[in-house]
Amino acid sequence: MSRLAPARYKQLALDYGMIFVLLALGAGFSMATIRVGYPEHGSAARALAQQVVADFGAGVPVLLATRDSAEGTEFASVFRQRLESEGGVVVGETQGTPADARRSLEALVDAQTLPRVIAGPQAAGSDVFLSASLAKIHPDLAEVPFVHPPGETWPVFLTQGNLLNVATQIVVIALIAIGMTMVIITAGIDLSVGSLIALSACSAAALIHWAAGEGTPADVGLGVVVGACGAAILLCGCIGLFSGVMLTVFQIPAFIVTLAIMLIARGLAYKATGGQALGSLPDSFSWLGHQDVGGFPLSVLLMVLFYAGAYVLMNYSRLGRYIYAVGGNLEAARLSGVPVNRVLVAVYTICGLLAGLGGIVMASELKSGDPKTGQLYELYVIAAVVVGGTSLAGGQGRILGTLIGAFIIGVVRNGMNLTNVKPFNQYIVFGGIILLAVLLEKLKERLVKA
Amino acid sequence: MNRFLCGLASALLIVGVVGCGSGETERVGEGDGNTAPAKVIGYSKMNSNNPFFEVIAENIKAAAIAHNYEVRTVSADADVTKQMDQIRDFVVSKVDAIVLNPADSEAIGAAIEEANAAGIPVFTCDLECTAEGVKIAGHIATDNYQGGRLAGEAMIEALGEGGGEIAILTHDPAASCVKRVAGFDDVINAYNEGRASGKITVVKRLPCDGQRDPGFKATQDIITAHPNLAGLFAINDPGALGALAALEKAGKSEQVKIIGFDGQPDGKQAIKEGKIYADPIQFPDRMGKEIVEMITQYFAGEAFEPVRLIPAELYRQADGQADPSLQ
Repeated sequence: MSRLAPARYKQLALDYGMIFVLLALGAGFSMATIRVGYPEHGSAARALAQQVVADFGAGVPVLLATRDSAEGTEFASVFRQRLESEGGVVVGETQGTPADARRSLEALVDAQTLPRVIAGPQAAGSDVFLSASLAKIHPDLAEVPFVHPPGETWPVFLTQGNLLNVATQIVVIALIAIGMTMVIITAGIDLSVGSLIALSACSAAALIHWAAGEGTPADVGLGVVVGACGAAILLCGCIGLFSGVMLTVFQIPAFIVTLAIMLIARGLAYKATGGQALGSLPDSFSWLGHQDVGGFPLSVLLMVLFYAGAYVLMNYSRLGRYIYAVGGNLEAARLSGVPVNRVLVAVYTICGLLAGLGGIVMASELKSGDPKTGQLYELYVIAAVVVGGTSLAGGQGRILGTLIGAFIIGVVRNGMNLTNVKPFNQYIVFGGIILLAVLLEKLKERLVKA
Repeated sequence: MNRFLCGLASALLIVGVVGCGSGETERVGEGDGNTAPAKVIGYSKMNSNNPFFEVIAENIKAAAIAHNYEVRTVSADADVTKQMDQIRDFVVSKVDAIVLNPADSEAIGAAIEEANAAGIPVFTCDLECTAEGVKIAGHIATDNYQGGRLAGEAMIEALGEGGGEIAILTHDPAASCVKRVAGFDDVINAYNEGRASGKITVVKRLPCDGQRDPGFKATQDIITAHPNLAGLFAINDPGALGALAALEKAGKSEQVKIIGFDGQPDGKQAIKEGKIYADPIQFPDRMGKEIVEMITQYFAGEAFEPVRLIPAELYRQADGQADPSLQ
């Protein structure tokens, strides 16, 4: 038993080392973001309605105030139902800005149905409900309190909304990182992906505008949108293919080929839109970036699907084995019959296609094609791959490690915003964390050798 | 031993992150049960390298203290996807209002729609959002067209009766800078109308990205092609200072009169020293203060004008000499 233990630890550290870093970061940010939050969900509305009747008696006239959001609508309907079943009366309901609340109060004054209580989620509270301000609307309102559900202490980082937020924010990086992992496992590099994001986004937007012709681009059909997006992704795939051919046939280093492509693609993106972001696209264009399926954003599901596919490809397909073989030892792979050039061209094409897809996801989120987007994304993607445990020397790497690497980057970026790390410090912390994560990876390697 | 190192490194990670996070918040106070607790304003500024936005940020903070607001400032570094992520982070942490300088007038629309859907009011400042279907609670900016007209008048004044060839350093991705050039062009065209001699001709327009280095290079190219250049209008101070450096290097800083825009400290200093002829100056301090004023009016449910334009004022050498803030 005791003899087995070290081997187990080794295996554990090998496979899940980066998960520990991710969990540590999550725990750290959770601790740092523990704050009093004010609930706006249905059960809080129910409890508040009961409390209002208990404190002010049955038949109490209530002004219900919420913000103009989906949560606000839910709060209002649950509160009203519960209050009326308990014998309270909603004399007025306002959903929207503080100015709307003021107008509702003034309307109630005119109708001579003054509320005795104003109730709503804490977020709907405003200076309108302060005693001095209420007194100005009508002297009898001065004593009317604004009641809201009590605060709950909970880490903001760990709220469902925020965790989905992190997942949504890393989709583009994570998708492209699949292709980049394959490229880096073959001991290559692709610096063009950031520009390909912009090229894909801009050419899709430009194609939709072109297809609309004299009509309004916002009214084009779904077929045109899908066609434009498909063409943009294919264009990026062709550019990836071109990089692959350049570096295999002419033996130009991948670094230089993709550096050149990075500049060319950025220039093409600017040309496609004339330098400005192209907006006013149809609503169907923004589905990918804004639609939910069963509570999960569509783009996150797409990411999960692609990772499952990539996992199978890398671990169970011939191409996957070839990719590792080419990166491990190119000559040995060639001598044992691996079609080295075809494998290399394939990985750069896949990387280009995924960069194109990433660009479509980003354009869909922004509802526009912006030639300035995707700058420095190649570095974030490479960082995600390396933090995920893939060796820049080639031959080694795990596709799921890359997903963890992307999450680490997403968690750090999101966590720093939530904890109010100042803009300058964000760069320092971000760089430091990448260094530390890679340092851990090195320690892991030593652990394996020991 | 190695496991110990792993543990140590993880612990350092956590301490580092938590340590950097704490103490950065300008929380002013917590309200009691009846009065509303301190409101939180999230501000996503354009970038960290233009002092203009730093002045806005500082004035938002200073004005916010008086109203018991907490301000959280982040920088978009001119990257619209980064700004979108920041807005989403503001939405999940339930700030009460969002202020931003849109990193892209069109593409930021989708992020603002998300804040709209959460019922959080969005205020824009300096740059506007032109996307369709978004709700902007309030907007404050310089009257850039009027400022551009002032720049044109200053150019006419600087060149005198002789007129001559001039160039413009543009930055078309920013709608504000396009308006400045439009105002400038209108004044110059009106001046040239019906004039037989002493016309002012725009011989070259090059982009300067609103930054020093591209402004420097563009100006070098312009004076190579047009050695008789008499004047140059740059749409902001960093661009004008880049142009100045190029003209000094070529020994033409006496020959070419520069008109800038903004009135940043470096720009004002150059005006005082006679290196830049004049600037239509903006008032980022007023933008910061007045946007907080607008937010206060919003929370109080008062009616206010949703778009407020602050007129630019011309700043010449005499103003620089009388300016106590300069050396």
